[in-house]
Amino acid sequence: MVGALSLYAPGTSPLHRLPASTKLLGLLIGGLVVTVPRPDALLLGIAAAGVVALYLVARLGLAELGRQIWGVRWIIAVVLVGQLIFLPWHVAALTSTRMLLAILLAALVTLTTRASDILEAIERGLAPLRRFGLRTERIALVLGMAIRAVPIVIDLASEVRDAQRARGVGGSITAMVVLLLVGALRHADDVADALAARGMDDDEEPVMLEGSVRPRGASRLRLRR
Amino acid sequence: MTPAATPHAIVVDAVSVERNGVRVLESVTTTVDAHRVAVIGANGSGKSTFARLLNGLITPSSGSVRVAGLDPARQARKVRELVAFLFTNPESQIIMPTVAEDVAFSLRGSGLPREEVSRRVIGILSDYGLDGLADRSAHELSGGQKQLLALCSGLVREPQILVADEPTTLLDAANTRRVSDALVALPQRLVVVTHDLVLAARCDTALLFDRGRLIAQGDPAEVVARYEREFC
Repeated sequence: MVGALSLYAPGTSPLHRLPASTKLLGLLIGGLVVTVPRPDALLLGIAAAGVVALYLVARLGLAELGRQIWGVRWIIAVVLVGQLIFLPWHVAALTSTRMLLAILLAALVTLTTRASDILEAIERGLAPLRRFGLRTERIALVLGMAIRAVPIVIDLASEVRDAQRARGVGGSITAMVVLLLVGALRHADDVADALAARGMDDDEEPVMLEGSVRPRGASRLRLRR
Repeated sequence: MTPAATPHAIVVDAVSVERNGVRVLESVTTTVDAHRVAVIGANGSGKSTFARLLNGLITPSSGSVRVAGLDPARQARKVRELVAFLFTNPESQIIMPTVAEDVAFSLRGSGLPREEVSRRVIGILSDYGLDGLADRSAHELSGGQKQLLALCSGLVREPQILVADEPTTLLDAANTRRVSDALVALPQRLVVVTHDLVLAARCDTALLFDRGRLIAQGDPAEVVARYEREFC
């Protein structure tokens, strides 16, 4: 069973074995097919059947499909209610359905592809932009770290909420945001140190403490924190 | 004068570190040549600053540090190839979403073929009993498993030295034992900052810090005894 925050469900299905770049291209095409044309019940019905079939081919099962839909229920609900204010109900329903299908397709790619394979595919896809000075490996790294940061920030928010409740001061959005920001920035600092320690920083010279003496011969230094 | 040392020793010579106008390390001079080195002392005594000097995360305000003959202040990249660092909180040092991906991340840019990277990743995970968790989200691991994953991610680069900054502080008793056992069994030189005096006693030598000064160095039993006598 896939955990609540898992992004990849290990498997050996044909979809798991497809190259990440092929799946990303498929996602792009599939996303365009369900979102660009005018909302049409027949087209979306066929697309929905296709999505169900793909989940079955990926051996993820209908239960996983249901879990994905349940996971985005509030997003879809907000979109649906927002549109019902301005659009006829059937148009709002079709528009929300195609958004749901696009999300389910994206989830299918992440469920059947390791994050590192997705990042490698993105890095390869962006490679031509290197000639313009774009550091594609950095983009891939940032995407990977963003995926990893999601559960950490959720945990952080939960800790802040629990701490507020424990002190009987729950409900303050401002306090929540401030504490969450402080926690996130502290985490970012720690991650920066961890990246440096794992040799992933650019500089030959180390990060500097405020007040540290500039080492002789150092060409460029940056202040830390 | 710089103390005599073997070519792979850690030599710290008259090092002071100042931060926000406060001296957090005061004229520390030592040669670390033992296989397993414990660094102990009260909170704020300068232990973690000392550890961070060893792979260039912090540079001295004065004095010099040499790790295997290299200067972390000027040769940080080379030093970090030799020195892996294990932080207190594994949560912040696990960079990638899944267990195997995080270990493999350490080998990015190493130039190793994909098959060799996979072999090394599976090998190190297997050494620490995490091979069955390779495709699991790192977030789903227990605290002890996360710290072992962080250890694997450091060791997969085959460093000569591991510096660990209070690696068991956030762990329960069972996981503390598990991580401690893994650390003391390492073939690499280990420098471990710790409040766990049992772990300190299992090392070959111990350093005791107090208010930024190195006040004792030697047999762990004696240094731990002094710490307990004067600070506990």
